[in-house]
Amino acid sequence: MKTLSRLETRRDQLIGVALFLSVWEVAAQLFDKPLLLPPVSAILTALWDLIISGELITALGESIFLLIVGLLVAIVIGFVFGTIIARSKTAYWMLNPYFSALFVTPTIALVPLVLVWFGFGFTGRVLVVVLAAVVPILFSVASGLRDAPGDLIDVARSFGVKGEIPLLFTVRLRAALPVLMAGLRLAAGRAVVGMAVAETYLRLGGIGGLIKSYGAVFRTDYVFASILPLSLLGILLVSGIGRIERRLKWS
Amino acid sequence: MNLLATFKSRRVYLPILSLLVVLGGWELVGRSINPLLFAPPSSIIAMFGELIASGELLAAAKITMQALFLGYILAVIAGIPMGVLMGAWPRFGDILQPYLYAIFSTPRVVVVPLIIVWFGIGFEARLFLVFFWTAIAISVNTAQGVRNARPDLLEVARSFKVGRYQMARHVLIPGAVPFVISGLRIGAERAIVGVIIGEMFLQIVGLGGIITTASSQLLPAKMLCAVAVIAVLGTIIVTTLDMLEARFQVWRNDSN
Repeated sequence: MKTLSRLETRRDQLIGVALFLSVWEVAAQLFDKPLLLPPVSAILTALWDLIISGELITALGESIFLLIVGLLVAIVIGFVFGTIIARSKTAYWMLNPYFSALFVTPTIALVPLVLVWFGFGFTGRVLVVVLAAVVPILFSVASGLRDAPGDLIDVARSFGVKGEIPLLFTVRLRAALPVLMAGLRLAAGRAVVGMAVAETYLRLGGIGGLIKSYGAVFRTDYVFASILPLSLLGILLVSGIGRIERRLKWS
Repeated sequence: MNLLATFKSRRVYLPILSLLVVLGGWELVGRSINPLLFAPPSSIIAMFGELIASGELLAAAKITMQALFLGYILAVIAGIPMGVLMGAWPRFGDILQPYLYAIFSTPRVVVVPLIIVWFGIGFEARLFLVFFWTAIAISVNTAQGVRNARPDLLEVARSFKVGRYQMARHVLIPGAVPFVISGLRIGAERAIVGVIIGEMFLQIVGLGGIITTASSQLLPAKMLCAVAVIAVLGTIIVTTLDMLEARFQVWRNDSN
């Protein structure tokens, strides 16, 4: 099997995209049902319209703000509980079942409960993002800290690092960094989904609300034009974290 | 041995103890809160009995399982051959990869408006939500498995001048199996979420439908019953595939 170079692969992919988009454009023009399949040109026009009207920027800003607040809260909660679970077997057996259950339950199924309990304000929306993102962070903190290398801790001790808290920050966390980044990457992907769920189900807002309101009036071109930046946001976030993660693979 | 015994008992009694504490606290708090907003465990259990007796829960679970299994099986049938093609012709795989990746990382709730105009809000639409994302997960993982055939084994097989069939039978397929199973697990997670999205946003039926209708009727106990059934179902499916994945992990080689 001949392996292609990166450059050749990129070239193939570019040709593929160009071909795909032109086939789409021609097919959509011939088919002429913009409700089902808007031509690429119409989607681009819609995207341009969304950009210059400022609608997209406002919506993206709102979404990213929600995403960042939700992820930060998830990181704090995941870090605290992850540390407790990693350091105490008792806490592990008492708390782990709930987090495992939360992990397998689709976030979307919990959203009506969040709506009833917290309303559709900002708190409720942040909570949906947290519910989606917290478990991967928590599990990665727990497993990363549990597997901290004993020899590194011995060295740190002999150099005078005393006490659990300093050890946590000087040795354990740094040794666990690659695992933590993997957890964060997983969490970021889920957080984007949680954000979209919160914005379409709780209160129309941000990019999710934009998509839903254009869907409600059957403007498929605008639906495509607003899904595109959302997918891009998710891909950039996840691949950005993945890039940092690969750099950190020192252990 | 003694240590193992205490460890084993600890992993049994601690979760039970914590469950009792949580349920007890929940019950105490739940009784003092407006029943339209919050449900204590006792009323959830009563509601569960009622739903089982009336047959509503079973009927809903059946509808959910139908779409879930049919969509999943179709995804396996389409996903594995697609993945083999993508793995055997890396060029084809490379060209297709960006689209699959883009679709896979798009949250499905925002694709719902498109699915409505394409498939309506009936069974086909729900089936598509299960099928498409699961098929992508399975095919991408299968492709990775076919590509990641261990070079050392390939070398050995070549030096023994094995034929195409034997190469596939003894080197390529065993090498790909663990990846395919990973794909089956990731696909199952996607399938479960997909079926619930379809039932909550498209056609209000099944377990997801119970959640939606119960939330509009302000019946939190009923909502929690459906959530619990979904969680148990998901746990069973995902743990089974997890165990399968762990069993085949020894065949895996990620080094290249």
